[in-house]
Amino acid sequence: MQPYEPKIVCFSCCFGWGYLTGRDVLSVKIKHWVPVICSGKLDSTHIMKAFREGADGVLVLGCPDGDCHFQDGNYQTRKKVHLLNRVLTSYGIDPRRLRMELGTDPEGDTIPKLIQNMARELRQLGPVKINGQAVEAS
Amino acid sequence: MWKAVNSGSAAAEEALKQYLPPCQMKCPINEDIQRTNVLISMLPLDPDEALQGIIEVGDYLYQRNPLFPVCGYVCGLCELECNYQEKGGAIRRRLLKRFISDHYIDQIRSKEELNVEKTKENVAVVGGGPAGLLCAYDLSRRGYRVTIFEASDRLGGALWLIPHYRLPEDVLSSTVNNLVRICEADVKLNTRIGDGKLTLDKLKKDGFKAVFIAKGTPLPRILTYGREKVEGQELSGVMYGQTFLYEVSHGNIHSGYFRGKKVVVIGGGNVAFDVARTACRLGAETTVICLESSDKSSRDGIPADEDEIKGAWEEGIRIIYSRGVRKIVGQGGKFQKIECPLCSSVFDDNGFNPQFDPTDSISVEGDVLMITVGQGPDRSFLQQEGLLSDKGGLAVDPLTLQSRNKDWVFIGGDMRKIGFMVEAMHEGLVASESIERYLRGLDMKAGRKRQFEAQDIPYRRVYKHEPEVVWIPPEKRLHFQLFERGFSLKEAIEEARRCARCGPCVSCKACLAVEIQDSLPTVEVNEDVCSGCGICASICYYGAAESRYKEGSMISSTDVFRCKACGMCVVACPSQARKMTGDTMEQKIKAVYAGLTA
Repeated sequence: MQPYEPKIVCFSCCFGWGYLTGRDVLSVKIKHWVPVICSGKLDSTHIMKAFREGADGVLVLGCPDGDCHFQDGNYQTRKKVHLLNRVLTSYGIDPRRLRMELGTDPEGDTIPKLIQNMARELRQLGPVKINGQAVEAS
Repeated sequence: MWKAVNSGSAAAEEALKQYLPPCQMKCPINEDIQRTNVLISMLPLDPDEALQGIIEVGDYLYQRNPLFPVCGYVCGLCELECNYQEKGGAIRRRLLKRFISDHYIDQIRSKEELNVEKTKENVAVVGGGPAGLLCAYDLSRRGYRVTIFEASDRLGGALWLIPHYRLPEDVLSSTVNNLVRICEADVKLNTRIGDGKLTLDKLKKDGFKAVFIAKGTPLPRILTYGREKVEGQELSGVMYGQTFLYEVSHGNIHSGYFRGKKVVVIGGGNVAFDVARTACRLGAETTVICLESSDKSSRDGIPADEDEIKGAWEEGIRIIYSRGVRKIVGQGGKFQKIECPLCSSVFDDNGFNPQFDPTDSISVEGDVLMITVGQGPDRSFLQQEGLLSDKGGLAVDPLTLQSRNKDWVFIGGDMRKIGFMVEAMHEGLVASESIERYLRGLDMKAGRKRQFEAQDIPYRRVYKHEPEVVWIPPEKRLHFQLFERGFSLKEAIEEARRCARCGPCVSCKACLAVEIQDSLPTVEVNEDVCSGCGICASICYYGAAESRYKEGSMISSTDVFRCKACGMCVVACPSQARKMTGDTMEQKIKAVYAGLTA
């Protein structure tokens, strides 16, 4: 049997992460990657749907506090992630599966590393289960 | 590293109404401040890698403003309107531009000529200052053959009066000399129009179809008290500040010239402070006397910039506020002292009308007196050429700068209205547009008054404090080298990132230029679903979303001029009445989710 490898969807803000590297170059290194113009553009449903579609984790990368191109988009998303962590918990899903990091990395080299770090933790958690039941991708 | 694409498209566009960031509104030539700030904020931290990006930003600025390397040292008008001003200090745009300038100045020397085929008429530009240079550049770009007639031995006009400790000589000379090289304009130095036979009619006979006159204000204003000229201005040791700065910039006054001397400067403007600080650097013990009070916020407050006053004060210059000059006293034909009565008010409701209290008078002694109370144009030239109105004012249309007396003559710059460098540059561009319309037989006025409104400060939680500007300490800066330190690459990136980018997208488009966004999306409201709850309005940082009554019910809408398509309202809408059009995020997410099960 193949070792279990968690699938992590990564949303990253284009103004803070990887803007100096070609998207084609980065997308080879980063699986399941969605660069967005602002992390604040993400809806809660986008994030929850990732789990429903078979993701084992979601990583959101926003700009540092006070650096958002659209004023406070990163803050809005941080609030959302905080609340969604509770929603996940209420379904028996470990909140460590949804994480947001604020920072900048123009080259985007740290994105694969952040995903690997998260994957290391999630590997121990195994696939997503809702209240102990395995989910089927819709 | 990104490479800016579609670089020409961001400039303020033709529109009935358009919002601009307040900095760009304040700038007379509407420089793309926000866009270039965003580009600077996205430079790589490695200086070698960043250079290409810096040059691209420089090339972009150059298209609209070929004098920008100079502006980076001396302007900063935009900072006065910065939304960030009250929130932690205006974005230091001037230093950001100087940062580009410092790296671009080498580039300018090898920058390619415009290579425009000069198939249109011959146009004469009289005066090689900022107004004339911008006019010449813009006309050349439009295909006119331009000749600049400059009375002195070099281009740059009044910019040469800015002391080198504020504007390095090589930055100025490189910028102006390369400007005329790049636009391939002919330059005739030491040629004063109005001298002898060299009249406007002569220019016409020589085949010039239009002329732009921007001869500036070369004549110093004489000192008056009440309505009378103050006696003693011809004494030895009395000179006009402008003349002094001119001589210094030509290298005619050696260092230490004023050592052991007391210099008294009359005037409260920036030029007076340039004079005082220059005299100080030549060894003088310097005093500034001005009519105005030290309270800059009052009507009678001193007009010089705060930084100038602070700099002068640090350098040991004494400033005496609220004093006029009633009498210049000499001894043996040489200046000795001035008598200075208290000035109780400078302006009244009708303008400049100083009032004095002769019972309260002090006298100030010195070896040299510099009068720097303003300057004016060469009126005898204007009169001789018949360019004045019956009332004695300049007969010129303020919108088109066309002379009311001679339709082929256009007049602008300080000569028309004394102002900042960039205001003169703006007049040069206005004149260029007018000359084009005149020679092509187009309507002179149609569509020229474009309406812009300043974007309000967006809502934001976190504001960052402005960086400290670093000046060489006063005891070490009494020379003519620059006294202000410029930004390092890291500092420039940080400061550019501090910019709140309050302006709308159409006048910026930096995200498109660096290709992190494919197109500018817009927000649409589905009115059948919208309940008018107003959550969108409360989340919108830009005042673009609002709820209002429409046919009896509340409905929300989006002001497309203000909207930046950040998507906050779309996300916040509880009934999914709002959606983005022209946006590819949803498809991208869908594609990635499809890949999860693969």
